[in-house]
Amino acid sequence: MRNFAVLLLKEETALFSSPIAYVVMTVFLLIMGYSFTLTLFLSHQPSLVHIFFQMFVLFMLTVPLITMRLLAEERKLRTLEVLLTAPVSEIEIVLAKFVASMSLIALMLLLSGSYAAVLVLFGDPDLGPIYSGYLGLLLFSAALVGAGLLASALTANQVVAALVSLGVFLLLWIIDNFGWLLPSPFDALVTNLSLSVHFRPFAVGSVYLSDVGFFLSVALLMLLLSVRALARR
Amino acid sequence: MLAQHVSKWYGPRRAVTDVSFTIEPGEIVGLLGPNGSGKSTIFRILCGYLAPSSGTVAVAGFDVMTDSLDVRRAISYVPEDAPLYDHMRVEEFLRFMARIKGLRGASAASAVEAAAARLDLGGVMTMPAGKLSRGFRQRVSIAQALLGDPQLLVLDEPTSGLDPHQVIAVRDLIRALAGRHTVLIASHVLPEIEKIATRVMILLDGTLLTTDALKGSREHPALRLRAAGPEAAIRAAVSAVAGVRSVAAEPAGGDAAEAAEPACYLIEAERRPSLAPEIIAALAGCGIAVSELSEAAPDLERIFLDLTRRPLKAAA
Repeated sequence: MRNFAVLLLKEETALFSSPIAYVVMTVFLLIMGYSFTLTLFLSHQPSLVHIFFQMFVLFMLTVPLITMRLLAEERKLRTLEVLLTAPVSEIEIVLAKFVASMSLIALMLLLSGSYAAVLVLFGDPDLGPIYSGYLGLLLFSAALVGAGLLASALTANQVVAALVSLGVFLLLWIIDNFGWLLPSPFDALVTNLSLSVHFRPFAVGSVYLSDVGFFLSVALLMLLLSVRALARR
Repeated sequence: MLAQHVSKWYGPRRAVTDVSFTIEPGEIVGLLGPNGSGKSTIFRILCGYLAPSSGTVAVAGFDVMTDSLDVRRAISYVPEDAPLYDHMRVEEFLRFMARIKGLRGASAASAVEAAAARLDLGGVMTMPAGKLSRGFRQRVSIAQALLGDPQLLVLDEPTSGLDPHQVIAVRDLIRALAGRHTVLIASHVLPEIEKIATRVMILLDGTLLTTDALKGSREHPALRLRAAGPEAAIRAAVSAVAGVRSVAAEPAGGDAAEAAEPACYLIEAERRPSLAPEIIAALAGCGIAVSELSEAAPDLERIFLDLTRRPLKAAA
């Protein structure tokens, strides 16, 4: 892992020198700011539960935009050839791209922390659900970034990578509805694949190890498959 | 470098067929072949970017598949068309490449400076790679390959896109690397390979036709003779010299002034050392004046055409 820091620096530079990062951040903060203000004025409740659910949906739409270029662009421009013939391991490459993307998401979450700050300054919110909501969003986005990275590793076309990620995210969002139609034990199996089923407890202040484990497992599995996809040549 | 029975299939299409060769330390080996003959595929396999469908490749004692990182530490690769990170400035790109090749701090800075000086990149170091001309992109790509002092340099069409001055500069640079580095260079431009390589391999449709196209010329050196006199007498005198394999009259040019010049002959010798003193003595003995007798450079074009036509004819 000698080269991880060098690769991470390169990824951060690439990410923050492209307009996509700023557009995604701006759109995210504008929509969430509007939604937060509206919810606060209508409900008069010092809570971020609604905001967390909206962020959950918004992340499914924006993460593909962040991850689509990660490996697909390198493959298309053939810089992957330069990288993979240099003495760096596939694990270092994948981890650097994953951590760089997560840093953008962490920055978005950090900036959205201003909503929580407003609640603390002008009200008396229950901080538990706020902490758990942010933890849930971070774990949820790690799973999304992992899946987006895998889609980007499998194609040289960024649009295809984005559409595949988006399709998978939307399917896993609503797959629990399909689960209700199935007989036991398939109903539990399919329902437990649902992203919303595992995120909901975080948003309302409950942290279950099973939910933490689910998002971490998905993220790790996706990273492992991305490394395999990169190593398969 | 040792490649043994390397083949590569892309789905149902075979790109490389049973290629085997060795490259000794310090050699400059040229891989010559028409576009689409499989040169880049072979290079990607040698550098560990592609896995061969069958066969093995070892570089500096390491297998490219099982000890990929060790192989990549020993090799530097310049891909065709010089892919670069367009958002990076040239200096930033070279520094990045130096770091991933294990150079840090002052040694990285001095390696970048030396490579930039060798490729004359001083004027573009602060420019984004995406704004560079084709020639400069190629030079930046070669500069990154020099970082880390690799044992083996693999250059895929390194002079494509360069102007004649740059071509000469790159050619001189590659020659200067001889001895210290082993160089494997691919090109479809015959004179390019002829001027740089000490050994030439020829590839056609994924099949290696020869691992040393100039071997025959080296073992049987040719002399070019220009002498005035009856052709039959000249042929007889030269043929009589022990060690002469063949004598052939070279076709005269259509120019009238050229036709008046002494006739030219190509003499193929059995072995080295040169038979020049014996030939001059034999001709002088017959009263034939020698205008010129020099060692003829191997005709790679003829060798290439002979080798590449043979399989085409066989296929027909």
